[in-house]
Amino acid sequence: MVAGDPVIEIKDAYTAYEGADRPTLQGISLIVRRGEFVVVGGPNGAGKTTLLETINGMLPITHGRVTVCGYDVKGDGVPVRCRVGYLLQNFSFDPLTPFTVGEVVMMGRFGKMGLFRKPGPEDREAVSRSLALLGISDLADRPIGQLSGGQQQKVLLAQNLARNPDILLLDEPFSNLDIFARESINRLLSRLAGEGVTVVLVSHAFDDLPDRPVRVVVMMDGRIVLDRESAPGSVAAVIRGASGIHA
Amino acid sequence: MLEFIIQNNIVCHAVEAMLFASVACAILGVIITQIQISSIGFTMAHAAFAGAAVGMFLSFNATLCAIGAGVLVAFLIGPLSDKARVSPDTALGLLFGISMAIAIFFIAYMQTLGRGFSAMGLLFGDVVSLYREEVYLLAVICIVAILFVAVLYKEICGIIFNKKIAESVGIRVRPIYYAMLFVIALTVALCLPIIGGLLLYVWLVTPAAIALQFCYRLSSMFIMAPVVAAAISVSGALAGLEYALPVAPLTAVLFSLVFVVAVALSPKRRVTFRKS
Repeated sequence: MVAGDPVIEIKDAYTAYEGADRPTLQGISLIVRRGEFVVVGGPNGAGKTTLLETINGMLPITHGRVTVCGYDVKGDGVPVRCRVGYLLQNFSFDPLTPFTVGEVVMMGRFGKMGLFRKPGPEDREAVSRSLALLGISDLADRPIGQLSGGQQQKVLLAQNLARNPDILLLDEPFSNLDIFARESINRLLSRLAGEGVTVVLVSHAFDDLPDRPVRVVVMMDGRIVLDRESAPGSVAAVIRGASGIHA
Repeated sequence: MLEFIIQNNIVCHAVEAMLFASVACAILGVIITQIQISSIGFTMAHAAFAGAAVGMFLSFNATLCAIGAGVLVAFLIGPLSDKARVSPDTALGLLFGISMAIAIFFIAYMQTLGRGFSAMGLLFGDVVSLYREEVYLLAVICIVAILFVAVLYKEICGIIFNKKIAESVGIRVRPIYYAMLFVIALTVALCLPIIGGLLLYVWLVTPAAIALQFCYRLSSMFIMAPVVAAAISVSGALAGLEYALPVAPLTAVLFSLVFVVAVALSPKRRVTFRKS
């Protein structure tokens, strides 16, 4: 894929949860190109998480078309999910969860491996690399349930990086993280975007965004109400303005 | 199969049955306890109970009807929990209620007609009067359980860890989850008439609970649980037959004792830090 090629194409998409009386996303259209850094903002319930799950093919699309990395997600979301990293929001694991950090990160490769294949040297190498990227190589043999919330968040991010994604969808990646971890993850995300990985980030914390221009998409009531470039320092003001919230 | 060690045919068949069924149930029990559907044990027991009652009412083979009802419930658990938007445990509860109602209806109706029905065999099983074919059936179940986990190990790990994360990494969660529930339910249904509902429930839950006291990895649990289950079951069978004690209840008591000891010895509850 060439730099600047569209990797996410959403055309007039409607997405509805089962049993809901109206669609959560209503006529969304959006094109995101390779290497773009997109920040999605808006009030609670605006449809930000739904947008990420729609891109990842985890929700039924009732109308319109969503193409990710050339795949129509309506047909089969699995090939899409093998190319897209998706960090879900607010996860924490019980102390008795019987998986080590290394095993959890390896799970990020399972979709790519396919059925009946065991992890090989390439998979182990990818796991070591993503653990090192997040600075948690020393935790590889620790049970995930014994880590702090912030460490668990890093492990899940490493899990997503382990499959060398073309696109990273991040839902509140900075929750549970201390200021140092936020800074290092922002540097990492900025670097990945520079290398051609498309980053779509949903967050309510805009203080530590990467030091580079970002594209801001503001959502309200399942619709996109603003879509423009912004300097990192003014993202919060842009989102507040578009949402009609004034400081 | 073990005749070269145990000459007495009855004892040999009982030990083999206990060995195969305990290994199968313990392996699948790790999945059951981790995805928290331990009620699958009593739901399947009552589905088989209902099947046997219907079978007796219609003058069919009660054991085959019990297995058939178990298999039917095995097919229904996954789709029912998805379509009704309820947790698998709730779906199991619903199926338990329906099975129980059917069983009671037919038992009561048969009593009205003056026909008897005994459920003792399904509750306690019968490991001392097994045919060779039944032992072979248990061996096949055991191999199916081992192969199922070995072949789909990484997908099972993903689903146990978190279904939504498993889906997001590209695992085809739904068909594998249904297959998992089906293999568990089928194993329970086939073991039930031979082993009995009481011991089966103990086998499904206790070995995994014992393994969890010592293991930090799922892979270790899949090894420790069947080893512990096999050791206790074979000991229970040998002791029960040697001293003319009821095998299933004796083994269930042994499992419980080992669980208590495991909890007491578990390193997971030990605080080792001391200020020097």
